[in-house]
Amino acid sequence: MTATETLNPDPVMTVADANEAPARRGAFLAESGNLIGLAAIVLIFWVVLTSLRPGFISNFNLFTLSRSLAIDIVIGFSTMVVLATGGMNLAIGSIGVCAVMAAGFLMQGLGLPPLVAFAAALALGAALGWLNGFAIVRSGVNSFIITLASASLYLGAMLILSKAVTFNELPAAVADFGKLRFGGFVSPLLIIALAIGAALIVLFRFTALGREILAAGANPRAAELSGVPVGRVVIIAHTLSGALAGAAGLMLVARLGAAMPSIGQDWLLPSFLAPVLGGTLLSGGAVSVIGTMLGALLVTTIRSGLLVMQVGNFWLQLFLGVILLAAVMLDRYRGKVAERRSLGRR
Amino acid sequence: MRLTVEDIGKSFPGVTALDGVSFEIRPGEIHALMGENGAGKSTLIKIITGLYRPDRGRLLVDGVPADFHSPRDAIAAGISAVHQERNLIPRFTVGENILLERLPRRHGLVDYGRVHREARRFLDMIDPSIDTRTEVRRLSVAQMQIVEIAKALSLEAGVLLLDEPTASITGHEADALFAVLRRLKAEGKAIVFVSHKLEEVTAISDRVTVLRDGKVAAAGEPIASMSRGRIVSAMIGREERVAEIGERDLRDRTAVLEARGVATALGHRDIGFTLRKGEILGLYGLVGAGRTELARALIGDVRITAGEVRVNGRPVAIASVPEAIRRHRIGYISEDRKAEGLILAHPVRSNVAITVWRRIASALGLVGRGAERRIVEPLVRKLDLKTPSIEQGVGKLSGGNQQKVSIAKWLAAGVEILIIDEPTVGIDIKTKTAIHELIAEITRDGVSVLLISSDMPEMITLADRILVMRDFALVGEIENSRRYEPMSRRIMSFIHQGAEGAAENEPNGPEAAHG
Repeated sequence: MTATETLNPDPVMTVADANEAPARRGAFLAESGNLIGLAAIVLIFWVVLTSLRPGFISNFNLFTLSRSLAIDIVIGFSTMVVLATGGMNLAIGSIGVCAVMAAGFLMQGLGLPPLVAFAAALALGAALGWLNGFAIVRSGVNSFIITLASASLYLGAMLILSKAVTFNELPAAVADFGKLRFGGFVSPLLIIALAIGAALIVLFRFTALGREILAAGANPRAAELSGVPVGRVVIIAHTLSGALAGAAGLMLVARLGAAMPSIGQDWLLPSFLAPVLGGTLLSGGAVSVIGTMLGALLVTTIRSGLLVMQVGNFWLQLFLGVILLAAVMLDRYRGKVAERRSLGRR
Repeated sequence: MRLTVEDIGKSFPGVTALDGVSFEIRPGEIHALMGENGAGKSTLIKIITGLYRPDRGRLLVDGVPADFHSPRDAIAAGISAVHQERNLIPRFTVGENILLERLPRRHGLVDYGRVHREARRFLDMIDPSIDTRTEVRRLSVAQMQIVEIAKALSLEAGVLLLDEPTASITGHEADALFAVLRRLKAEGKAIVFVSHKLEEVTAISDRVTVLRDGKVAAAGEPIASMSRGRIVSAMIGREERVAEIGERDLRDRTAVLEARGVATALGHRDIGFTLRKGEILGLYGLVGAGRTELARALIGDVRITAGEVRVNGRPVAIASVPEAIRRHRIGYISEDRKAEGLILAHPVRSNVAITVWRRIASALGLVGRGAERRIVEPLVRKLDLKTPSIEQGVGKLSGGNQQKVSIAKWLAAGVEILIIDEPTVGIDIKTKTAIHELIAEITRDGVSVLLISSDMPEMITLADRILVMRDFALVGEIENSRRYEPMSRRIMSFIHQGAEGAAENEPNGPEAAHG
């Protein structure tokens, strides 16, 4: 609260004799407190929905849920890695559909095996993300404007090249993979999403690159003056975001068994919802991988819940809008508290 | 109008800006307010003009207590000011800016004919060549300064405060300004004039008040009774414990950083100096002299357009900050810890280890917490950094400990050359001494330091040699005897002579440099 706290941190100890646990436990509790709150909200939704419609936890519904959860998680990650740098990527839907249509063309048009086509499509997603990052760093223009433009540009190019024709004669293996279930209701897509999550946890907690992304997001000038190549780091984050958007698109292809030009157009809202609900700061410098997964779970739950309650799709938009607004308010409040705590005043 | 300041006190976190300052401005006088950077002049002006509220003490206007809650109150009471920071709206015209808060209206619409006629009247007092219909953003820095002055004049206030009004204008324009000030004085206005330029002060003012460390060092002395030397000694005075920096023998040291005829994209010209191994080379100058910008050029953040820089004897062309750090082992500690130095929301561990993540990463790019801790913890102990743990957010530490985090990160990186910009700005006097001793200590371990400071005692305590910079050029180099009185006099004389020399030799120099 007061200036003296800032000047004379109390108790004053040097590391040599200090007990490190309290500070670390404090930070851990603050983060896990947020996650527990989010998990509790999800749990309440599940209890209410199950009691109203027991079919909500049928194997079939859980399987459907796990497939769309996987996709929502990866969409959330795609935005999260860019939020980490303090930027945003409005083009993930467009990048996703470009990867989708490229994969469809490579399989149906050129007859390439699915694995090769998927790898090439992921590379395309990464390349489009790289292009975003390159344009942002080179021009110095805000990522909002650059990705707003590239979203339209990528989508337009895709529509011109594909003539908006769906690829629906893909190899059977693709749809079969999408229908695969483990333990009655777990889609392999969910396992892939969780594996990506684990990789991202390692990235942001234990690698030089991940730490540099967060440092560049929290204070680009200070990071630059400490030797972090901020421009390169931002480009890498956008490349990763593009690859993740591509991955989400390909997961949808597996679910639908077809490559459709309409994919990706409803991604923007959930892509922000998942990380922001999960505690990723919009201002950059802090991410929560587990939080993003829980945020995605909430989005999926609401979508599926409205479906089983047979409430129209119109309501979904309204609900998601309200929730994003609430999440942003929460983010702002959290930012203020964090600032007050770290500065000890203001 | 008579303005009286009684026993004013004002503190900011960690700094006492003003401590019991009393001061009186009488009608029909020009009163000079002097002091070193950080002495409290600007804070005092901001209190008088209602931008800050004092913690204690009071203001009296014509003997009646006044309590200003905003600049609007001060203007209403008849006080107008030209601040150091510019307060113009770039996309509005000169005329609109001058009459901004009271644009003349006719039938509810702005009467532009009158706007330009009235603005013209005040502008003509100083510089008739500026068109009132030009957008402010198209003006030079000097012209903007003149518009600011015209704006202050247009309020036709009883008290006029000018905070370094001549810092960016030419001698000719300054003469026109002084003529206006003398006329206003004859009309019975009270004028406060803040300046670093002793010649101006002796030429135009009637009395002088000197502030030092937030206190009055000379109170409204008639200018005739104050010699140049007396003003300077009042400004720089001496007390407080000086850091113990030990014996320094720098004979036969090799040069680690040399600049020859260096010019930069920001307007430095013909910069030449040599930094020797284990030396503390001071770079003194007033704010705006181009010191920070020179540091930026040396670490590859600003383009060098001519001349040669050598590191350990080899010519180098440093293109980026990471290259300066990793290839040439040059680090830079910014004067602005919060905006550029540290990542306040991140823990001590990350803020120190940021410079070594790449070095300690495994082949897969993994950085273990243990590896970070093995580097950070010994440094925390060595620098006596007070923190509950290395996981503490840096934003929660005191200014002195934040500065230790900055130093620790460069020791971790193993820099050989460290540029430290205003190392003790916003740091209390006791910690200041500790930071000074720390800087001396790291040079004994072989680090060479380029020390940028506007703090004269700090400079004379720490530096082995002192370079004096003015208007983006070096104007002097002095071997530091560490005897305060003669050294400070010599440094100040370089700064003031530099002022005259620069104004005569290169009339456009300062503008080109700032633009």
